[in-house]
Amino acid sequence: MLNRLPLPAQMDRVIVIGGMLAILVATPVVGVLIALLVLDQITAPELVFWMVAGLIVAGALGAVLLSNLVHAALSLVGALIGVAGIYLLLGSEFLALVQLLVYGGGVTILLLFGVMLTRAADDPVVADGSQKPFALIIATLIGGIFVGAVLDATWSDAGASVVSIEDLGVRLFRDFGVPFEVASLVLLVALIGAIAIARSDDADDDADPTGEEEAAS
Amino acid sequence: MSPLDVPLDNFLTLAAVLFAIGFYGVLARRSAIQILIAVELMLAAVTINLVAFSAYRDQDQFTGIVFAIFVITVAAAEIALALGIVLRIFRERGTANVDEADTLKW
Repeated sequence: MLNRLPLPAQMDRVIVIGGMLAILVATPVVGVLIALLVLDQITAPELVFWMVAGLIVAGALGAVLLSNLVHAALSLVGALIGVAGIYLLLGSEFLALVQLLVYGGGVTILLLFGVMLTRAADDPVVADGSQKPFALIIATLIGGIFVGAVLDATWSDAGASVVSIEDLGVRLFRDFGVPFEVASLVLLVALIGAIAIARSDDADDDADPTGEEEAAS
Repeated sequence: MSPLDVPLDNFLTLAAVLFAIGFYGVLARRSAIQILIAVELMLAAVTINLVAFSAYRDQDQFTGIVFAIFVITVAAAEIALALGIVLRIFRERGTANVDEADTLKW
């Protein structure tokens, strides 16, 4: 099992080549954006928006295109950290912190544990399904329709404002008290259910196809 | 506070693009974990939409931010439960690919 994992030298090469490519692509883009800022073509929040949006789209594309599960999960972290940046830009600091904690911490670790505990640890490269062309067509259509609808509508921008955590807490616990309690119940049920589903019965261990005994020894 | 200089359209377009990327991932991927990753992207896109509308159109109530918190909560519950199911399927059938877990398919 161990000899099928990527060697450290290969991992280093992936990281070095990926990092160099990212720097090569990102440097001119950031340079052009800063030049536009200096020339007063865009404002500072727009500069931040475009940089964060680039991070999100690049991370999302990596998450759905990389065939190595570990790389895809790590790419997802980049996209979700970028989403936290978008929340900061929209003035909701609390949500940005929650995003970093829940997604950057919890969800990613859970996903990596899922990769480790399934066969993906032996062979983390999974090819895409045969319906890839149809998926591409449908996703492009849906994205095109959404973007077209967004650009077609006109919004009277009132402008964003920073939401204080205090106001948010009052709103959450005073007006949304019942949904909050229901959400905590949902979390409890989901976690107990996850344990109940995932725990191994003793009788099943003999027929275990994963070879956990070999891995443990 | 001062109004943002970024138009609302930018955020909504970003969310639409992110949703489409996640949608492609859900349809094209084979491993259940890859599909979960793509679902996370779609949820993030929806949350961006909620927060953007809340920040631009609903400054006094910020209902969108409250709902974004609920979305994040439910997403955390969903990922835990889904990974439990994936582990169970893997233990029963020796695969985590969704096209090989086809007992219900006639």
